[in-house]
Amino acid sequence: MASITMRNLVKKYGGVTVIPDLNLRIEDEEFIVLVGPSGCGKSTLLRVLAGLEAIDGGELLIGDTRVNDVPAARRDIAMVFQDYALYPHMTVRQNMSFALEMRGMTPAETAPRVEDAARLLDIHPYLDRRPKALSGGQRQRVAMGRAIVRDPKVFLFDEPLSNLDAKLRGQVRAEIKTLSRKLKTTMVFVTHDQVEAMTMADRIVVMKSGQIQQVGTPEEVYDNPVNVFVASFIGAPSMNFLPARIEGDRLALADGGETLPLALMAEAAPAAGEVLLGIRPEHFQIVPEGQGLSAVIDLVEPLGSDTLIHCALAGQRVIARVSPDIRPVAGQRISLTSIAGKAHLFDPDSQTRIGQTEGQAT
Amino acid sequence: MTTRPSDSRWLDGLNLVLLVLAGVIVMTPTAWMVLSSFKPSYEVTAYPPTLVFQPTLENYATLNSQTPFLRYTMNSLIVTVGSTLFGLLLGAPAAFVASWTRITWPAVVTLMARMAPGTLFLLPWYVMFRQVDMIGSYTALILTHAVITLPVVIWVLLPYFDNIPRSIYEAAQVDGCSPFRIFRRIALPLVSSGLAVSAILAFVFSWNFFLFALVLSNSQTKTLIAASFNFIGEGSTNWGGLMAAATIIALPPLILAAVVQRWLISGLTLGAVKG
Ligand SMILES: Nc1ncnc2c1ncn2[C@@H]1O[C@H](COP(=O)(O)OP(=O)(O)O)[C@@H](O)[C@H]1O
Ligand SMILES: [Mg+2]
Repeated sequence: MASITMRNLVKKYGGVTVIPDLNLRIEDEEFIVLVGPSGCGKSTLLRVLAGLEAIDGGELLIGDTRVNDVPAARRDIAMVFQDYALYPHMTVRQNMSFALEMRGMTPAETAPRVEDAARLLDIHPYLDRRPKALSGGQRQRVAMGRAIVRDPKVFLFDEPLSNLDAKLRGQVRAEIKTLSRKLKTTMVFVTHDQVEAMTMADRIVVMKSGQIQQVGTPEEVYDNPVNVFVASFIGAPSMNFLPARIEGDRLALADGGETLPLALMAEAAPAAGEVLLGIRPEHFQIVPEGQGLSAVIDLVEPLGSDTLIHCALAGQRVIARVSPDIRPVAGQRISLTSIAGKAHLFDPDSQTRIGQTEGQAT
Repeated sequence: MTTRPSDSRWLDGLNLVLLVLAGVIVMTPTAWMVLSSFKPSYEVTAYPPTLVFQPTLENYATLNSQTPFLRYTMNSLIVTVGSTLFGLLLGAPAAFVASWTRITWPAVVTLMARMAPGTLFLLPWYVMFRQVDMIGSYTALILTHAVITLPVVIWVLLPYFDNIPRSIYEAAQVDGCSPFRIFRRIALPLVSSGLAVSAILAFVFSWNFFLFALVLSNSQTKTLIAASFNFIGEGSTNWGGLMAAATIIALPPLILAAVVQRWLISGLTLGAVKG
């Protein structure tokens, strides 16, 4: 159990800088999710934490100890790999007790711990099987079991659910969350799936090109994204963006001249100028003709619980999530507006959100 | 293939013919050797060779009575097993490290030493062992044969180690393994079939290695293959004895080659790692 502190951390591969300068503090017992598009350096950062990659600059502390030069074997960190990396020549039991054995425990000492972990994860029936004889979901559990028995300071997960089918993924996601509550160990979980990030994290770290874009609770990141990247990465379907201009107390769309009252915006708007209007699909509402932005429905995607409508609005394509009771049909003309306080304004040049309170950006 | 069954049958037929042809070409000298070893001495050199004859163990008896044949066999076994073990002991960790670090040039150097004609370093090698007064010792022979076994072991094992997913090594590191323990507890068990293949190949190559044994051994440590050279005398050659000796020499590698086949196939089970 320990906090993790990264100060001005730099990681390069040869001449390529993957992480230019990273600062982050992960609190003890916190469940942190690193999320970002493929190739943004999430795995690299995780491997740096594990000690599998050397650091090219800055400082890494686990608890109060500087571990820059501590090898992986002595960091007391457990890691669940994307391909699980189980030892193929060992039984599940041996896989799980191996790390304990490496720390000098006798079989008498390891046995009860393996039993406990196996019970916790429901892998009792196959303790004496080889990994080859297990399904993907079972292997995933064994990989977690191997991490749990060690009772490490920190757990690292590198996209551990990406090889599971959708149904299993949802189930395991919930289990890991429950497990983290029980174990009270610091967890760093890497994923490119924003749903995983939102559902599991105490705090989300959104990354892009090796740089942290925003750190915050799932609600903060969803409600107050610091920039266009975070706003479009978190939430599915993605936030809609429309170029617009401020005219008095109204916002005029760049194409078509239709306007919305500025009062709908989540934060105070500047006096004038070009902006990027951002509205999430679920924050659109259909209003009577003339009270919103007129749009034509292109495509209707009923999801059961709600319905996605793809529309042409002021020359842009937008997606709105509406109640299925509305029974929209393609070709229909509708009028859309934002729920009050839910629309955001972004600076079209810097791509940052306008009017955000200081200290949210990282 | 299934769309053109007649063509494929034709190709299968051709394949079979070629295989049989290759088999005949490869096996003829061997068959000749084995048959000749059982022929009475006057028939060994008969031309055209007789195919029907009264088999006799006469050549084998001569071999045993006229030469310390058992001693040569023991010598060969000592040198071959010794150099194979030596090759495994050094070659397996070397291959592991080369695969781990992806630095393969030292392995290439060992291969070059193997590929260079032995006569090239026969003389310096001889002088060197003479200086330390080791000519005729088993140690000198075992060390020399390691020139053969080491590259075999390294190059057979390298792809086996390369086949182990890196994440397994990393999992072991995170689990608290030192590199040596990763080698012994993770990597070695995972390449066990490769170890068997490399051991057998090293054994065969070392067993058949002739030149250095001829020069570096003495009457007490002469290997089977070097000793068989004695049958080719000035003037008259004891062809029957030579064939009998050759047959016995060929036996261990032949048996091992048969074993290797099985291992070569089961060696592919490494694919199960990724599952
Ligand atoms: N061993 C390596 N050598 C060189 N470049 C690497 C290596 N590993 C990763 N990279 C590069 O670093 C960047 C980040 O990779 P990674 O951390 O795996 O991304 P993510 O896990 O977020 O998808 C990528 O551009 C990738 O090509
Ligand atoms: Mg990755």
